[in-house]
Amino acid sequence: MSRAPTGRRGRRRTVFAALVILVVTGAAGTLAVRHALAATPVASWVEGSFFDLPLTNPATVGGGATGPPTRVRIPKIGVDSSLESLRLDRQNELETPKDYARAGWYSDGTAPGDPGPAVIAGHVDNRRGPAVFYKLHELKAGDIVEILRGGAWLTFHVTGTAWYAKSRFPTAQVYGPTPDAQLRLITCGGEFNPSRGSYTDNLVVYAATTGGF
Amino acid sequence: MTARVLRRIAVTAAAALVAGGLSIVDGSPAAAAATGYVRLAHLSPDTDPVDVYLTSLANAFPRKVFPGVAYGVVSAYQQLPTGTYAVSMRLAGHPESENPVLTTEVTVAGGKAYTVAGVGKNSELGLKVINDDLALPPSGKSKVRIVQASITAPLLDVSVAGGATIATGVPFAATTAYQNVAPGKWTLQLQPTNGGQASTLGAELGSGNVYSLIVLDKAGGGLKVELRVDARRQGGVPAGGVDTGAGGTSRGSALPAILGGLLVLLVGAGLIVMMSRRLRTRRA
Repeated sequence: MSRAPTGRRGRRRTVFAALVILVVTGAAGTLAVRHALAATPVASWVEGSFFDLPLTNPATVGGGATGPPTRVRIPKIGVDSSLESLRLDRQNELETPKDYARAGWYSDGTAPGDPGPAVIAGHVDNRRGPAVFYKLHELKAGDIVEILRGGAWLTFHVTGTAWYAKSRFPTAQVYGPTPDAQLRLITCGGEFNPSRGSYTDNLVVYAATTGGF
Repeated sequence: MTARVLRRIAVTAAAALVAGGLSIVDGSPAAAAATGYVRLAHLSPDTDPVDVYLTSLANAFPRKVFPGVAYGVVSAYQQLPTGTYAVSMRLAGHPESENPVLTTEVTVAGGKAYTVAGVGKNSELGLKVINDDLALPPSGKSKVRIVQASITAPLLDVSVAGGATIATGVPFAATTAYQNVAPGKWTLQLQPTNGGQASTLGAELGSGNVYSLIVLDKAGGGLKVELRVDARRQGGVPAGGVDTGAGGTSRGSALPAILGGLLVLLVGAGLIVMMSRRLRTRRA
């Protein structure tokens, strides 16, 4: 009888603790849903070594690699994919790779290593789980992206990342002309709209051959 | 025993919540690439070669040197972090300890491009920051401008050979605004406004590209004309973004996750209340 109050208090404490755990884990769960995997992209800069400015714009980099790019490698997020050829559809929108496990290159556009914005798109997920560019959001300024072209690997450095609502996609900024060899890696994110079968946002990773300042 | 059961309920509830709510990245807006471009040019016909120094006032990267820049040289664009840079010019080979002949500052904004040029006759030499508009031209057009750095043709008319006039009376040391033109093969004619020998130049303009037509004095007389590609791209411009996802890692909307979470909390709380009541009842 003397142990009863302690026991009840103990049980009450257990009940209280369980409630706290439930509430905390529950809240954390819903919050985590929104933010745990969300990399907040922040532009940052990489220290480079001293170098003199070149006299002329190089026509190409990587020993004048020619022909189409055939592979993309992003060591930081474990991407190593051959490249599909992507065109524009009848609405002038960029096609997406048929294979969710492979990235695709916009083959009527700039080839990586040539001056201009080369575009590579990849799916973030298929119907069941992650696809080739699932971890693209983890890339930060300074990270390396490699493209195989004409038997040579071209190295690009990430210069920045940005999320855009598809309804306000900055076409001219992403696809506009550039003085140097640029790369745009594109995938999806944001909310998934099941009725439209697509995500609301695009993630664009900007990279350049001259990106490591 | 009771505590273990409760803990199991709590753990299961939390796991269900997390599993049910697992989703991919957030679509929060963020900063785009905060970079711009700068290039350097020597456009003063009677000024000797110079060494040009580019220094980030915010120390965003190590100082760059552009040695022995002679008249007519236009450097490649350098992609730089946004911020303010000091540009200084010394006669080639002169030590850094000497005061520079000219200095200026250029503030680089995100996505913008600039040509910092030594312009004018040597007696009135100045460093000028020229805004370069590398933005995508209107659909199916090229953009061209004239950078006039010839003193032998202090005023210049530019036209399509046997065709339309592009610009008239462009003065020495001036840069015209960009003009949208139809892409294709052109023969351009450059004629000093006040008479003198005309020059022609075959030019092929690509759709979506941006060009500067740089007009210089040729050593030994006449004009030297160079069509410089400021920025280029290839292929049709894709309309908008890309639909790269099928939703397999998405939570869909946040609402079901939140409602699901609340339901789990309610059920959990209910179970706990029930259990503690039952325990109390059993004791009584």
